Amino acid sequence: MTPPSLAPTAAGFGLPDYVTRRPSGFYRSLNPATKLAVAALEVVAAFTISGWLGPALVLATLAATAAGSRTLRGLMVVGLAALPLVVSIMVVNLFLLPGASDPIAHVGPLAPTWSGLRFGLLTAARLLAFSSAVALAYLTTPVDDLLADMSRRGLGRRGVFVVGAAVQMVPRTIERVGEIMDAQRARGMDTEGRIWRRARGVVPLAAPVVFGALAEVEERTMALESRAFTAPGRQTLLRTPPDRTIDSVLRWLALAGVLAIVALRLTGRIG
Amino acid sequence: MAIELESARYRYAGSGSAALGPIELRVEPGRVLGVAGANESGKSTLCVVAAGVAPAVIGGKLDGSVRIDGVDAATLRPHELAQRCGLLFQHAHTQLSHTTATVFEEVAFGPCNLGLPVAEVAERVWWALGAVGVEGLAPRDPARLSGGQGQLVALASVLALRPKYLILDEPTSELDPAGTRLIADALVRVAAETGAGILLVEHKLDVLAHIADEVVVLERGSVALVGQAAAVLADPRLAELGVEPPAGVRLERAVRDSGVEWTASMSESIR
Amino acid sequence: MGLLRRWVARQFTTRVIVLMPVAIAINIVLGYTVQSGLKLPIYVDSIGTILVGVLGGPLPGMFTGALSDLIWQYAPGIGPGSQIGPFAITAAVIGLLAGLWGQLGLFRPRRGHALNTAAAVVAVVLIGAMALYTYSRAFSSPDQFANAAFKDPSAFDQSRFFFLVVMAVFVVLVGWALVLRRDVGAVFAISAGLFTGIVAAVVSAPIYAFFYGGLSGSGTDAIVAAFRAGGDSLYQSTLKQGLLSDPIDKMITTFVVFFLVGSLSRRFVARFPNGEKLIGPDAEPDAEPEAEPAGEAS
Repeated sequence: MTPPSLAPTAAGFGLPDYVTRRPSGFYRSLNPATKLAVAALEVVAAFTISGWLGPALVLATLAATAAGSRTLRGLMVVGLAALPLVVSIMVVNLFLLPGASDPIAHVGPLAPTWSGLRFGLLTAARLLAFSSAVALAYLTTPVDDLLADMSRRGLGRRGVFVVGAAVQMVPRTIERVGEIMDAQRARGMDTEGRIWRRARGVVPLAAPVVFGALAEVEERTMALESRAFTAPGRQTLLRTPPDRTIDSVLRWLALAGVLAIVALRLTGRIG
Repeated sequence: MAIELESARYRYAGSGSAALGPIELRVEPGRVLGVAGANESGKSTLCVVAAGVAPAVIGGKLDGSVRIDGVDAATLRPHELAQRCGLLFQHAHTQLSHTTATVFEEVAFGPCNLGLPVAEVAERVWWALGAVGVEGLAPRDPARLSGGQGQLVALASVLALRPKYLILDEPTSELDPAGTRLIADALVRVAAETGAGILLVEHKLDVLAHIADEVVVLERGSVALVGQAAAVLADPRLAELGVEPPAGVRLERAVRDSGVEWTASMSESIR
Repeated sequence: MGLLRRWVARQFTTRVIVLMPVAIAINIVLGYTVQSGLKLPIYVDSIGTILVGVLGGPLPGMFTGALSDLIWQYAPGIGPGSQIGPFAITAAVIGLLAGLWGQLGLFRPRRGHALNTAAAVVAVVLIGAMALYTYSRAFSSPDQFANAAFKDPSAFDQSRFFFLVVMAVFVVLVGWALVLRRDVGAVFAISAGLFTGIVAAVVSAPIYAFFYGGLSGSGTDAIVAAFRAGGDSLYQSTLKQGLLSDPIDKMITTFVVFFLVGSLSRRFVARFPNGEKLIGPDAEPDAEPEAEPAGEAS
């Protein structure tokens, strides 16, 4: 093949900055592994420190971090999405906590109990703390950065491909399902109505989506191989999230925190 | 130096009969070989066999020989084949890696897989984008490109591996006339700049009329017609082989049938 | 160790690697659609997992399951708020089992020869006995799964009822499959689904109870509430609800996957690691492939 006789074009030379971009803000610019370690610490704290202290501490920390990294709104979305579950937890535990015997009132045959209320609130708080901790980590970490970092730490190109491709394929599959559902609704399929009719609607919906996706597998496989996907050795990383001293420090602190909490719990100091 | 198929016969895995062959074919550097034929005539099979992808990637049984620049394709691993023969398919979308956020990184996917140093990756990417003419698309999201743009990016991605030959299986089949023109022009440019040998399967014979040097017509897996493009595309046997002649040829016939004389300047004006 | 490495490598061919994200996307989207769009009380979020397990093997199945639950959090639009993460463990187990079923050839089409039919009957008896045992133990004592004595006759009746419900679904699905395809292989596949569902329920009950108090914010909570009203502990009520929903869901899923695999062309299936075990020896060889994936037509 004739070697390129062109000098680097005016359009670009070296890596463009939209490839090497770094997110702004202290929390966001932390290494992905650090953010995951912090989330792990928060989850352990929420569940292991008994009583209200655990979830309360975690939620307070999360609120502060979220405010600092401009993800408060994202967290509120998470909270709202968890609402049906929270309501369910409150209602079921309020009325049906096994072994509870301190009723608040008697409403006909129902007897909400104080311990039920307490337990329900505590479970809900723990749940919110846990899901918010995880949510914060992924709201502040684009998938690409996470995968690039894991790549640097040894995750093979196949793992990177599976996760990256899955994340990108979900919206596309959703669009397809939407299109199929619209087409079927136009043909009279029920999406409300009785269970039996809805159940029957699953197959004509699932089949085209699944078959369409499977039909592409062959071509995708060949396309990947045609781009040297199975070449030996490590792949070049164009972009790696930096791993600074502060990241190491925070990770060690998180590990120490987890060990301390577990130790305290096991020795009965906090649980 | 060429891709040479000698007495090649190929049967897909799990299939009872041969989809291709016996067939003799040569793809020479610097020349564009067009391939036409009815459905099920073996055009797609020819592509994967000539690229060595069958049987290396998709299994099946190959009799006879496929040699790329004198080397038996059966001795080459898929990533080695990818650096000799670039392969492109019809659907732009299935050729994306789905793991990248920008076109730049998408085109870099192949070179990164090879583990090349970052500087060389960047150089190859800019060169490939320039060769195809899509530097402007570099910052864009690959998932949001139009069909034509997607195919151009796929072409650049394959070029980034610096293959000596390009094999394209109906790259314009899902594109509108504008997109088709884009691809055809890009192929002309690539052929001129890189001296690559091109094997182009097309249903739209107008494209072949525009850029092919020679044309082969397949029937049931074997060569039915072969020769210079202009001669083959004007051959009256095309119809019985299930292939519709290009618009220019049909126009010429219609004009002649109506009794008007067809002149050289008319041929020029419809090019 | 070389043997282990080869066993691993055999399952992760490029084709399987390509299938996994597709399967993960199917899991997430179908699960989400069925649970919130169509609002049915089943999950249907394991079709991809079981498909990958059956075609590729235990390890790809395991990773597909686990990653589906972990990636769900990242999925744009339906990610934030989905409380799925901890179930990665259950999903991994489901994928692992599916790989086992694939390697045992349980998803292969089998015609109604005498030998096949006899084997099918044996399978049904075995799975029925196993299910009966599991249900009676689970329902027999209010606190401990491990207690064998049927202390409370009413608890035993409860167990019998749910066992019958689940077996009724089993019979319906098997009958439907036999009518549609006259394929005794369906019996094996759906039995595998029943087994998988029971295991899934047992594995996920502690997770459910610990993280979510046994509740999910969906219609199945009413069932949990009913058990609680009957005096069951947190864990017990979660387990019982699981033993109702999971087997039914997994039987439906394996039913779907069985038909799916049966509808794919031999060419397509043959190239997967478990491919040979999924193509029956008595299936007709296709000179003209049927459900042909795009890209191989000409």
